[in-house]
Amino acid sequence: MQRFDLIVVGAGPAGLSAAIEAAEKGMRVIVFDENAKPGGQLFKQIHKFFGSKEHRARVRGFVIGQQLLEEADRAGVQVVLDATVIGLYQDKEIVVKIRDEIHHLKGDAILIATGASENMVPFDGWTLPGVMGAGAAQTLMNLHGVLPGKRVLMLGTGNVGLVVSFQLLQCGCEVVALADAAPAIGGYGVHAAKVARCGVPFYLSHTIREAEGTDHVTGVTIAKVDEHFQFIPGTEKHFDVDTICVAVGLSPMSQLLKMAGCSMVDDPKRGGQVPVCDEFGATSIPGIYCAGDVSGIEEASSAMIEGRMAGEAIARYLGYIPEADCKQAEKQLERGLFQLRRGMFAPGRKGTKQETTDEGIRLSQTLLTKGYVADDEIERFPGVTHRVGVHPVIECTQNIPCNPCQDVCPKHCISIGENITSLPTVVLDSTCINCGMCVAGCSGQAIFLIDEDKGDGTAEITVPYEFLPLPSEGDTGTALGRDGQPVCGASVVRVRRSSAFDKTNLLTISVPKEYAMKARFFKRCG
Amino acid sequence: MSERIPEHPILGVQKKGRVVSFTLDGKTLQGCEGEPIAAALKVNGVMVHRYTQKQHRPRGIFCAIGRCTDCVMIVDGVPNTRTCITPLREGMKIQTQYGVSAVPFDDGKPTAAPKK
Repeated sequence: MQRFDLIVVGAGPAGLSAAIEAAEKGMRVIVFDENAKPGGQLFKQIHKFFGSKEHRARVRGFVIGQQLLEEADRAGVQVVLDATVIGLYQDKEIVVKIRDEIHHLKGDAILIATGASENMVPFDGWTLPGVMGAGAAQTLMNLHGVLPGKRVLMLGTGNVGLVVSFQLLQCGCEVVALADAAPAIGGYGVHAAKVARCGVPFYLSHTIREAEGTDHVTGVTIAKVDEHFQFIPGTEKHFDVDTICVAVGLSPMSQLLKMAGCSMVDDPKRGGQVPVCDEFGATSIPGIYCAGDVSGIEEASSAMIEGRMAGEAIARYLGYIPEADCKQAEKQLERGLFQLRRGMFAPGRKGTKQETTDEGIRLSQTLLTKGYVADDEIERFPGVTHRVGVHPVIECTQNIPCNPCQDVCPKHCISIGENITSLPTVVLDSTCINCGMCVAGCSGQAIFLIDEDKGDGTAEITVPYEFLPLPSEGDTGTALGRDGQPVCGASVVRVRRSSAFDKTNLLTISVPKEYAMKARFFKRCG
Repeated sequence: MSERIPEHPILGVQKKGRVVSFTLDGKTLQGCEGEPIAAALKVNGVMVHRYTQKQHRPRGIFCAIGRCTDCVMIVDGVPNTRTCITPLREGMKIQTQYGVSAVPFDDGKPTAAPKK
């Protein structure tokens, strides 16, 4: 039987990070993954990540995936693909199916980083072709370059539902609506706002009544639900669609841990059946560790830190590093993870009703129910100020762990402070040079550069733009409000593309000055 | 119907394999070598991959990562092949799967969508 210091199951962000740490400390590591390609779900993530510099914020997920693979290569991590681990037994033995062969191996330590699978919700017609997981749509469009459909309804407004809806719009699909049985949008407000300003309606307290069609989906009916999630008759709404995407959460794929006999617990805050483990992922069985979504649903950014921490802990467990040596590295990792776990969307605050930000500002209720901050709500947030000349207007209204705006501004116009979940503020007496780095650097696309009065009755608004075709200077069209509805005529006065903007192009539009605080998106004529 | 994304605002033009021919239930179709069979079928407007054994209901792409087994078809004679993770190759013989066989059910047609 082949023996390894560490066997990692799952070559996603958590598994690879742990394998890198362990390999760099001299351990003999092997990683198994059932897929044909490593990287887990990172290669489907085309948006810029949140967090701060140390979490690689502002870098797109698939780029982080490439970097991780290169790092694993350099560290000499051996990754075996098309390899499904089908058994984990006492004494840390595994059985793995590699193509048509079954192999039997032993590890001094085992790390389970198997991730999560999509939840489903049954409704009439849910098995029809055309109903698919939001992750499936993401796989088709971002990995295989194929449209999942032409007209799509998204069920679920967590970050997956919001992000995938935006990605569907980016590749030219029409998203007819987002529906969610919950009364409030579950994901980041900034993700919702990107979708809403494109004109996509949100239906909260609504869910799918029926998917229509004989051989495949041809339409969908949603209806309102009461507080007990029962349909309210007479509230049905029909949409002609060919695709229904379901984004109703993820469940940890913790079966191997259960099979090995690790103590398990049902924890809704962590997403379901999860192992009992300490902060380094050590389970109840010495030598068996876990990291990433399998130990509780979070983001890829936290999965990577959890992986590093588990790698450190395993190296210590097997005696590859002395106790004292790992203290400092561990402290830093813990700090990074702590930062990501703060704010309104922190795992500990899941399911609690929040009325105000950590600063004590009333939250936008329109953002929670319709996906955008209403015109009469936006002024109360600290990123929204008025001054003469070009200045950033930061429409970031929830405490999320993210601070690239503070780092990218060369003139230090934007401040978040030590706590990365604080709302960004505009620094008094700072001088904006209209470089656009904040607009392109904001992972939530929530920053706009605005010159409220050009002196000729117009205002200029610079918006982030990640769609094709890219408008040209001189193009005329309609300015859309935060709600995606037309507010006035607009013309494009400047289009900026730069490698520093990383595919987020900047569109500067001219509008009558009374719409300076209303216009937030541009739609070309025709 | 569906189609390929010619150019993506973030990913640009995706690299695909050469165009190859394959058959679905005897009809010749084209796809890109190496892409999942399911992706090639999607581009060709094929929604139904199989009909279920008991109730003859249609199934198509559901998870697209080889987990749910909804998209299985008969590929080169092998039933229950997960088309979302099986790469397309030149000359592949793909068949719609009825239960676990390539022979359509006696009733000729699948049943309609589930009745409420």
